[in-house]
Amino acid sequence: MSPELSAVLRRKIDEIAARYPKREAALLPILHLVQREVGFISSDEERFVAQALGLKPIKVREVVTFYTMLLRRPVGKYHLQVCSNLSCSLLGAGPLLDYLKQKLGIEVGETTADGRFTLSTVECLGGCEQAPCMMVNSDYHGFLDRDKIDRILEGLV
Amino acid sequence: MAFWTGTRSTGSWKAWYRTLNEKVLTRHFGVEGLHRIDIYLKYGGYGAAEKALKKMTPSEVLEEVKKANLRGRGGAGFPAGVKWGFVPQNIPKPRYLCVNADEGEPGTFKDRYLMSHNPHLLLEGAIIASYAVGIHSAFIYIHGEYEAIALRLEEAIGEALGKGYLGEKILGTEFGLNVVVHRGAGAYICGEETALLESLEGKRGHPRLKPPFPASVGLFGCPTVINNVETLSNIPFIIQNGAEWFIRQGLPKDGGTRIFGVSGQVSKPGIYELPLGTRLRSIIFDHAGGMKDGKKLKAVIPGGMSAPILTADEIDLPMDFDSLVGAGSMLGSAAIIVIDEETSILDVLEAVAKFYSHESCGQCTPCRIGTSWINKIVRRLAAGQGEPGDIDTIVRLASNIKGKTLCPLGDAAALPILSICQKFRSELERYIPHA
Amino acid sequence: MPKIFIDGQAIEVEAGWTVLKAAEAAGVHIPHLCYHPAFAPEGSCRMCLVEIEGLPKLELACSTTVKDGLKVNTQSPKVVEARKAVLEFLLAEHPLDCPICDQAGECKLQDYFEEYGLFRSQFKETKEKREKKLRLGRNLILDRERCILCTRCVRFLNEITKTKDAGVLNRGLRSEIGIFESELIDNNYSGNLAQICPVGAITDLDFRFKTRVWLLESRESICGLCSRGCNITIDSHPGHPRIPRVRRVYRIRARENPDVNSYWICDYGRYGYASLDENREDQLVWRKDGRLTRLSWDRVVQILGQKVKSLTFHRRTDRIGIVLNSNLTNEELFLADRIFRKGLGLHKFWLADPPQEKGDGWLLTPERTANRRGLQEIGWPLPAAEPRELLGLDLLLIFGPYLASGPGLADLKSVLDKVETKALFTSHVSGLDGLVDFIIPVPVIAEKGGSLTNVDGRVQTFAPALGFEGEGLPEWRALLDLARELRVDSKYFWPMDTPRAVFLALQREIPFFRR
Repeated sequence: MSPELSAVLRRKIDEIAARYPKREAALLPILHLVQREVGFISSDEERFVAQALGLKPIKVREVVTFYTMLLRRPVGKYHLQVCSNLSCSLLGAGPLLDYLKQKLGIEVGETTADGRFTLSTVECLGGCEQAPCMMVNSDYHGFLDRDKIDRILEGLV
Repeated sequence: MAFWTGTRSTGSWKAWYRTLNEKVLTRHFGVEGLHRIDIYLKYGGYGAAEKALKKMTPSEVLEEVKKANLRGRGGAGFPAGVKWGFVPQNIPKPRYLCVNADEGEPGTFKDRYLMSHNPHLLLEGAIIASYAVGIHSAFIYIHGEYEAIALRLEEAIGEALGKGYLGEKILGTEFGLNVVVHRGAGAYICGEETALLESLEGKRGHPRLKPPFPASVGLFGCPTVINNVETLSNIPFIIQNGAEWFIRQGLPKDGGTRIFGVSGQVSKPGIYELPLGTRLRSIIFDHAGGMKDGKKLKAVIPGGMSAPILTADEIDLPMDFDSLVGAGSMLGSAAIIVIDEETSILDVLEAVAKFYSHESCGQCTPCRIGTSWINKIVRRLAAGQGEPGDIDTIVRLASNIKGKTLCPLGDAAALPILSICQKFRSELERYIPHA
Repeated sequence: MPKIFIDGQAIEVEAGWTVLKAAEAAGVHIPHLCYHPAFAPEGSCRMCLVEIEGLPKLELACSTTVKDGLKVNTQSPKVVEARKAVLEFLLAEHPLDCPICDQAGECKLQDYFEEYGLFRSQFKETKEKREKKLRLGRNLILDRERCILCTRCVRFLNEITKTKDAGVLNRGLRSEIGIFESELIDNNYSGNLAQICPVGAITDLDFRFKTRVWLLESRESICGLCSRGCNITIDSHPGHPRIPRVRRVYRIRARENPDVNSYWICDYGRYGYASLDENREDQLVWRKDGRLTRLSWDRVVQILGQKVKSLTFHRRTDRIGIVLNSNLTNEELFLADRIFRKGLGLHKFWLADPPQEKGDGWLLTPERTANRRGLQEIGWPLPAAEPRELLGLDLLLIFGPYLASGPGLADLKSVLDKVETKALFTSHVSGLDGLVDFIIPVPVIAEKGGSLTNVDGRVQTFAPALGFEGEGLPEWRALLDLARELRVDSKYFWPMDTPRAVFLALQREIPFFRR
């Protein structure tokens, strides 16, 4: 982490921590922030956040490894998170996932060689009325079918 | 800001909403820009908050909400007024309100609609609730994936602060309230109230032992009220129109409307705000357009994945808390998942088993090991390697989880699995190759 | 006093007790894994579920508070079934490691399976494979397959040492205990983690693979390595006809004492058991003209007695010196006072103790002897022994090898060479051995009976936990033999034949010991 980024993050961390009666409560929003800036949370970031909040690093790792959205390894530029829960499965999420795997040439959990796409499955996104749906980074896409997937991927450079 | 990138046009949303009637919470959903405070105010927004803060005492507000028989809209269905009444008033600790916006129950998306279309309604409800209980600090714990919605809420909070509806001395009264939006990070268990508190305190989402209950020992050890988004969104209407009016929108023991979220193999998936007591058959076939592609109905999950499954014969059922309990299921989050005849019930069981084993927090023995053991058996069944006795084992394991776990997730896993195995036993057995 | 009923038996309870505590008080055992009296109830293992009349679901005994009239059933069919269910879940993902697991014989899972389980496994799936040899601490290994996630280890480090070294990582079945990178648990209490782990997940490197617990004898004792006086249990091998004994003491464990050490001992004491077996002085010898002759204690008493009588006769008692140490028991220090100071009127006494070191801020004290406080209360205002001061003596009785741990062993040699007769009463071999005439092996605290006074003034009585295998005898018996030989106050000393008898006299004469 560059010293500039470190300084910027520290200021933001103090801002966020001030919203809570106890500083440690800000851990989750701070981890979201760090992940947005750095891309993922490695042991360096865990140490950084721990130090900023006055926690032991293991306590930060406890939290990072508990929550699905917090990533410990880098992902591609576009993280394709396909819902694999019931309503989406009922409307064909399974075959669409296979289509994505075949189209991108990767398995679930992997990243394309050019670093553009990472494919994951997730549980209920709360977009069930537009099933099957997926989240690309933080954007929701629903009513998916092969054509729509093609169009979405084309738009992601 | 568009939540869905390039799906339906706004025009057809409005047309669709106009087909619904008797709406309370969703009445103005078709209004463009409702999420902005100037539009919200134009439609009478913050009027109930003003009435409560200026014309009623906190205990009067509390009494009105109690009389309205508003039961929690998150899943547990606990009467909101009664819960508020548990908070002790005379201890020298701050009190907190946590809005449970961690919409993680599979099939549920109603709070997403409420927060994205009408965030100020939620804020107004939170203000009135906080006033009733003596709370000056509220946190909205929102489903981590709802990042755009979280931003919308923060914008709304900014607007409300700017116009004096939040912050110190709201509307010139002595009452003040601050609201902080706090995003989760992908853990269903954080929708359980004590796990939500743990997560809000910066820790793993491990549910706590109860007693003590959050009303006495909650966030940071202080008395805390936790309410669902829809529950709080009803509060302004109760205050504005009165408890008796509210009861008339529903049933005597279950006041108000319910936002039913219909998904799965129906023609018109979406939210449907209807009176409590509306029949399930009517919701599916009259409102949600009936089965998709003209298929036949096989099964319905009536209240989110944690609600035991109903067969096609069981849908002549009024959708209210007590009727569903009577039918061996629950109203839960009023998320209706429709399953057609061509879907394999094993696929349904697979989704259920996978979900709970993925979401188990891992704290207590039966859930940590039981949900994954069941998942392993179901995966084996799905791979064609089932053995005689496997369904019996699944039933036994689910029964061993039921009633023995630290938090309700155990039952949320066990009861649906038991209901699927019981009601669709013969179909499941067909997946086991006999020796 | 409120009263509850457990399995029909009426039990008086105190307000605030849990059902589990009430049951333990009444001698009813309710199985539990995650519960430990040192921590707040965790409620995660679910093993202690019991039936409470009037409540629809089973409730946890560890966290349900008693109410007057509560009726608890710990043996109903529902409870029995629930216990089997929890055990079945635990064993489903548990490796069948008993043949290679150190915990065998003292494992809660084994015990409970035997008592409440005894079912055939129905688990046909693939068990989770996990790390089996994670280095967790200086002396600790973690086997993640065996771990039942009771989190006692994490809670100990959070609440007791407050060092927060470990945590629970991942979620669901993937949950596992871990440390951050390779930051090993490294504090003076880490050994307690292996002791409180109910299964063989955390094992002590010091004990790993060395023996089986059923081959060991467990006896109670007091740790003598500092002045805290922690209560311990010593696990030693008594020797078996066809199994060769490789060593004697295998392990020291903490023993509960709410007034002294709670449930814990420090690593310094836990791993200090080597001093019980290593470098022990075993043979009673007389170094004469460079040769070592074995002889009996009776003979030594005669020789020493003659020397004392001769010096007394010639009114040269100022040429007799005694070096004491503060590892001696209350009884021994009392006898030394009554025999040498009061009885014989000697006045040349010194103290030689191991050097003071740093305390750890909790149990481990800077004084590294067991009875400093006893020394004070019995009234010994002793100066530390300086070699020069030992000049001009004809007879020197040295108790303990600690003179050798002071500076200037070479100086000491030149001084001691000028002392005509020197007798050393020591438990351990040291540099003094070559400088004295008589070496009399004595037992360590674990091999003696008696009492010690800890740093807070608490008097603790103990019995031998190990047999003394040297040719000597305990100091208290040696002192009484000398008293008899020298006919010092026969009426007073003659009836004393046990440490207890000495203690009763000590109590009569010194009010402090009557508290």
